[in-house]
Amino acid sequence: MTFLQPWVLAALPLVALPLVIHLINQRRFQTMPWAAMMFLASARALSRGYSRLRHWLIMILRMAAVAAVILAVGRPLSRGWLALAGGGRPDTAVVILDRSPSMLQRGSGDEAKLDAGRRRLAATLTTLAPNRCVLVADAERPPLELARPADLADEAGSPPHAAPADILRMLQLAYDHVRENAAGSTEVWICSDQRSNDWALDAGGWGSLRDAFAKLPQQVRFQLLADPLPAAGNVAVRVTSARLETRGAGRDLLVTVAVSRQEEATRVTLPLKFEIGGATTVVNLELAGRDAVLKNHAIPLERSAATPGWGRVSLPADENPADNEFYFAFDEPAARRALVVAEDPAARRVLELVAGIPPDKNERALADVVDLASLVGAAWDEAAVLLWQADLPTGRDAELVAAFVARGGQAIFFPPEAPTPGRSFAGLEWGAWTGHAPPARPQSWRNDQGLLANTLSGGALPLGDLEIRRSCALSGDGVPLATLADGVPLVVRAAGQDNAYFCATTPAPRDSSLAAEGVVLYALVQRAVDRGLEPLGRARQIDAGSAALPLAAAGPWSRLAGPADAASGAFGLHAGVFSAGGKLVAVNRPAAEDAGRIVADDRIDATFRGLSFTRIAPGGAGAADSLVQEIWRAFLIAMLVALVGEGLLSLPRRVREAAVSGFPAAEAAA
Amino acid sequence: MFSDRQPRRFLDPQVLSRLAAVPLVPRKPMVGTVSGRHASPHRGSSVEFAEYRKYVPGDDLRRLDWRAYGRSDRFYVKEYEADTNLRLCLVLDTSGSMAFSAAGPAKIDYARRVCGALAYLASQQGDAVGISCAADGIVRTLPPRRNPTHLRLVFDVLEEAVPAGPTRLPEVLHEIAETIRQRALVVVVSDLFVEPAALGQAFSHLRFRRHDVALFHLLDPQEIGFRFQRPTRFLDMEGGGAIFADPVDIADRYHRAVAQYLDAVRQLVLESGIDYHRVLTDEPYEQLLARFLVGRAAGRGLR
Repeated sequence: MTFLQPWVLAALPLVALPLVIHLINQRRFQTMPWAAMMFLASARALSRGYSRLRHWLIMILRMAAVAAVILAVGRPLSRGWLALAGGGRPDTAVVILDRSPSMLQRGSGDEAKLDAGRRRLAATLTTLAPNRCVLVADAERPPLELARPADLADEAGSPPHAAPADILRMLQLAYDHVRENAAGSTEVWICSDQRSNDWALDAGGWGSLRDAFAKLPQQVRFQLLADPLPAAGNVAVRVTSARLETRGAGRDLLVTVAVSRQEEATRVTLPLKFEIGGATTVVNLELAGRDAVLKNHAIPLERSAATPGWGRVSLPADENPADNEFYFAFDEPAARRALVVAEDPAARRVLELVAGIPPDKNERALADVVDLASLVGAAWDEAAVLLWQADLPTGRDAELVAAFVARGGQAIFFPPEAPTPGRSFAGLEWGAWTGHAPPARPQSWRNDQGLLANTLSGGALPLGDLEIRRSCALSGDGVPLATLADGVPLVVRAAGQDNAYFCATTPAPRDSSLAAEGVVLYALVQRAVDRGLEPLGRARQIDAGSAALPLAAAGPWSRLAGPADAASGAFGLHAGVFSAGGKLVAVNRPAAEDAGRIVADDRIDATFRGLSFTRIAPGGAGAADSLVQEIWRAFLIAMLVALVGEGLLSLPRRVREAAVSGFPAAEAAA
Repeated sequence: MFSDRQPRRFLDPQVLSRLAAVPLVPRKPMVGTVSGRHASPHRGSSVEFAEYRKYVPGDDLRRLDWRAYGRSDRFYVKEYEADTNLRLCLVLDTSGSMAFSAAGPAKIDYARRVCGALAYLASQQGDAVGISCAADGIVRTLPPRRNPTHLRLVFDVLEEAVPAGPTRLPEVLHEIAETIRQRALVVVVSDLFVEPAALGQAFSHLRFRRHDVALFHLLDPQEIGFRFQRPTRFLDMEGGGAIFADPVDIADRYHRAVAQYLDAVRQLVLESGIDYHRVLTDEPYEQLLARFLVGRAAGRGLR
C-alpha cells in the first residue's frame, strides 16, 4: 500500500483504542449484592459460543473502523500488486521513455505503445505528485526537468526516434541526475517494449550500474511499464543496397529491398512504393514466409539526373508505421580500391586477385600492392580496404593504419611467417603458428551479421568446406567471428576497433584452402570493401543513433526528408535524408529493430536483482489511465460498513424475560 | 387487637378487609382439633350428608335412618360430614437472598405482607396459624394455635425476621413434614434459590404426609431482566464468593440459565401437584392473594 501522506500512519496505534477503552471499562466495575448467584454460576458454566464470537467481532469491527479512518486520511493509492513496492510520495520521479521505432506499434485501442505509456505515466505522476519530474528522452541528451507531470503527455520534441533506445545509457543518465541533484526518494519509471536491442543486457555496465544504484543513500524504486506484445501482422521494409548502373544511354538505379515480418502468416502481396526525385513507382512483392527480397529492382533514371540522389521506399500502413518506410541515398559507384601489403608472394597474389575483381561488371576494382617501405605514398584516402599480410605495423606505419581505420576504412590482417612477439594492433597480437594434420575446418561462425553473414538469399557461406592447414595463435581482446575446433579463433574482430579484422591463417596454399575455395575469401574481402566504401562515397546509409549523431554534429546537416518537427541537434536520431557538404546521408533504423527479439522477463528481473523493481503488465494496473488511484473513498466506505456491522452486533438481544414474567398468569389460568 | 402496639408495617387493613370477603380454604380435607368450617376426612355431625352405612351393633340407634329401613327392610346408619378447623403452617424463607431489592420492595418485605395477610385471614375464620422461618435450618418456629394472642406472636416473628445465611429450604421442608402431626395447609414463601431436584423430594414428602402445599415463588424483576450496563462484581448475599461478570457479555447465557431453571421448577410443581404461584415483587400482593384465595374457593368441596 502506498500513501500520499504516510506520516498519518504514525497514528495507526490508535487502532488499539477500542481495546484500551474496553480494558478501562472493565476496570470501572460496580459492586452489587446479588441474590440469584446460581443463575450467574450457571451462565458462566454455559458455553460462550456465539456470544464470545460476537464480542470479538464487535471489537474487531471497531478497530477496523478506526484503522479505516486513519488509512483514509493517509490518502492511500491503489497500485494493484504494485502496492508491494511500498513507500509514499516520491521526491523525484524519473521517466525513461523508450522511443525506439518499435514503440510506435499500435496496441489495443489503436494507440501507439509510446503514446499509451506517456499518457498513463502522465496520469500516474499527476496522482503521485512528486516534487520533481524528470524525463530522460534519449541517451544523447541530459535529462529534462518537466514543470508538471502532465507535460509528459504532450512534451515537445517527442517525435519517435529511428534509433534504438539505449536503456543502459539512459539509466546511467538517471543515476547521474539522482546523484548530482541529491534527490530524495526516487521512482524511476521505464516505459519500454523490452526489445533486446534496446536493452542490450549482454553489454558491460549493467552490473556496475546496479551496484551504483544500490549504494545510493536515498531509496530508488524501479517500475517497468512493459508492453512487449509483438505485432503479428506487422511488416518491415529495408533497403539493403542502392546503386547506379549505366545502361546504354541511360542509367538504372538497382535497389534491393528486403521485407520481413516477425511471424509467418498467410501469403500477402505487398505494394512497394518507390519515390525518387518526385517520381513514384509501385512494385508488388509476394511475401509468403517471414522474409522476402526484391533483388536489384531496376528503376530507370535519366542520364541527366543529379547525383548523389536519394529516395524512399514505403509499405502500406500496418500495426507499426515506423518500419513502413526506408530512406536510401545513391551515387555513382566509386572505385573499389584496396591496398594490399603482403610479405608472402603467394598470399599477395591471392589477395590481389580477390580485391581486384569487382562483384559487378559495371564497377571498377583496383588492388594496389604496396611495399612496407612506401606506405606513406599509398592512396589511403581513396582505399576502402587494407589487406595486410605482414608483421603488425608499428610506429609511423601504425599511425597511418590507425587513421585509415578510424575514418571508416576496413583492415584485414593476416599473420606473417614470423610474428614479432609483443607487437600488437587494436589490442590483438599474433602468437605462434600451429599446424593442423589433418587440416582443421571451421566449426562455427557468426552468420547473422558481420563479414561472414549469410547471403541475402539466406544461404550460408561455405566456411565448412575450408581446410586450415596452419593457423597462427591470436591473443588479446577480440570478438571471434569464426572458430576452429576447440574454440581456436579463425576470424576475429578487434574489440576496440570494429573496422579491424584478423584472420588466423593466410590464403597461401600451404596454409589454407582460402584460395582454392575462393568464395569465402572473396565474400570476406568484398564485404569489407563495401563497408569501406560507405564513408568514401557521396551517398551514405547509416543507422540512426550513436553512429549518426557525431556525423550530424560535425556536418552540419540539413534535412531533405524526414520528420519536420525533429530538432536539428537530434537529426541523427530520426529517420530521414540529410545533406552536408555535397554528400547525402540516409539515416534509418538499425536492422536489429526489425528482428523484434524480446528480452525475457526473468533476465530483466535478474538484472535488477537487489533493487526495488516492479514490472507492470500492459493491463496489469487496470484499464484506467493512471496506474495509481487514490482509494480513500473505499476506506471510508469500509469504515461505514464496519460501524454499521458493529451497530447491528451491538443491538441488545431480545430477552426471554417476557416469557418468564408472563408465566404466572398463564399458570394461574391453567 | 393491636391497641398496645404500633400497627404492623406489613399489614394493610384495607387490603385485609377486601380479602376477608373470600374464605381461605384448603384443597384437601383437613384434620383439626375443634369443629370448624373446613371439611374433615372423618364423619361427623354436620348438616352435610356424606353416605349411608350398614348398621353394626354398637352404633347409636338414634342415627338409624328409619325411612331407609321402611324402604329396604334393612338397617342403615346415616353419616354426615365432619367440619373441622384449618391448621395453616407458614414457611417463610429468611435466607440472605430474600433481602434483595433492586427497585421495589425487598422480597422479605413482600413475603411478610403475604404471610401476615394469610395469617390474619386464617385467624379470623377460626383456624390455627403457625410459622417457621427457614434459612440454614429452622431459625424460628411457632406451632399452629387458634387464639388471637398467638397471632400476635406470629406477627412478631414476621416483623423480627432478618434475612441472613444460606438457604436450606429442602431440609427445612423435610423437617416440617415430619413435625406437623396432622394434615395442614403448608404455605411456603421463598425465592427458591435451591436445586429443583432437591426441592421436588421435599414437596413429595409433604404430599406424602397429606399436607396441602401452596408455594409463593418470589422473584425480583431485576433478577429476571438482568439489565446492567457496566461490568459488575456480584456479591453473594448468602455468604458465598463473588462473581465478576460483564453483563453485556453474559446476559444471554444468564437468561438461558433462568429459563432452564424456571422450566425445571414448572415441571416440578406439575409432578408434585402443589399450588404454585410465581410472583414478581412489582406485582401488588393483594392481587396475588385474591387470585390465590379465589382459585381455592373455586375448588372447595374436593376431598
